[in-house]
Amino acid sequence: MNNIKNPVAHVSSVDDRPAHPLVMVVDDSATSISLYQYSLENLLIQFVSFQSPLIALDYLKQHKPDLIFLDIVMPVMDGLTFLKRLRELPEHKNTAVVMVTSKNYAQDRVMAKHRGALEFMIKPLRFQEIRDLVSKYIPTC
Amino acid sequence: MLNYIKLWGVRGSYPAPQGSHLRVGGNTACVEFCVDGYRLICDAGTGIIPLGNHLARQHGNSPQELCLLISHYHWDHISGLPFFVPAFMPNWTINVYAPGDSSAEIETYIAGQMQPPYFPVEVEVWQAKMHYRHTQQRQIQYGPFVINAFYVHHPGITLGYLIKVHDKVIAYMSDNELSFIDRSIEVRKNELNPRETELILAMAKEEWDNAVQQIKGIDILLHDAQYTPEDYQKKQGWGHSCYLDTIDFALDAKVKDLYLFHMDPAYDDDFVDNIYEKALKYCQQYSNTLRCHIARETLLIPL
Repeated sequence: MNNIKNPVAHVSSVDDRPAHPLVMVVDDSATSISLYQYSLENLLIQFVSFQSPLIALDYLKQHKPDLIFLDIVMPVMDGLTFLKRLRELPEHKNTAVVMVTSKNYAQDRVMAKHRGALEFMIKPLRFQEIRDLVSKYIPTC
Repeated sequence: MLNYIKLWGVRGSYPAPQGSHLRVGGNTACVEFCVDGYRLICDAGTGIIPLGNHLARQHGNSPQELCLLISHYHWDHISGLPFFVPAFMPNWTINVYAPGDSSAEIETYIAGQMQPPYFPVEVEVWQAKMHYRHTQQRQIQYGPFVINAFYVHHPGITLGYLIKVHDKVIAYMSDNELSFIDRSIEVRKNELNPRETELILAMAKEEWDNAVQQIKGIDILLHDAQYTPEDYQKKQGWGHSCYLDTIDFALDAKVKDLYLFHMDPAYDDDFVDNIYEKALKYCQQYSNTLRCHIARETLLIPL
């Protein structure tokens, strides 16, 4: 399965999957990431976060999280473009993505929906709201 | 050779050609930078029409090149392009930088407003060499200009531009809602526990500080100042700033000259004069270094 010559085409096999569900956060704000960490610290999950969307995209070429929390306004690449690029990766056509942003605009909601985001949440989120989203999309949590 | 910035269109949302608006101006967003003979234009609202007429008179069909930075595709930022005479001239080269993933995507968005039945001719009739380029992941270099694009708070994918030219740094942020997160927190403050409050306030501060850092110490800021505080209360979440938030932003960033840009088209000259009076008083309370101006059409800012 691990095609070194063509890493973009690599798909994680069942054996590659982590023991616990993988939750990923892509958000340029370190404080915002802390908020997710604090919310999720008692759940049986693996947590990975990226402040750089480009590094996150590279990571996603070889990993398949069970849920991604995705910000919109970030340096270098915005979250809506990130989502488009994510959907271009064959193994991420259906990866669960929740947008969490301080942009509450109808146009962004429509774009996010067209690109396959499951939810569009407005910052700030409470700890329990973050936990509820994880439970909703990862029923084993 | 005079190096300058000229404001050809300063209104937000839609043109306001009424006589009551002429001292501020009624054309929508368009700002020309001319340095060492190189010409850079921010946005193609209706202000680009008189600019195009001026350029055509000045240069005719002699070979010319210009660089056009589009912040986003809302009408008030592109609706002058179908009437931009240099686009119809064969010896002109126009480099268009805009939000989008590829040249084809940008061309599609630009062309959309000229498709039938919206306009009598399509972009195929343009004779200038049009080069569409996206801005992601790289710096734009054009003559003496070094330009970095960054994302701002406005519906859809919208860019601000930081423009360095010689010893000057200018930020163009025509559409940006500055304090959306603060208002969202305010609405929920009674629901939050102390730890949540602490983290969420820190998050908002980090967001503000990052935005301030991006323009720290720059010479000139052209920034969205669409609303009065009263109107902003009604129009929070529309993607535009209250002018007092814009001044706070400039004060925190220690900007030298602030131009209140993209004023609401419902505000006539007398109303804007009143805003300006209040803006100056507000500035004087907190700073003796920030120079605050109203962005007025045809204003020439020497560089």
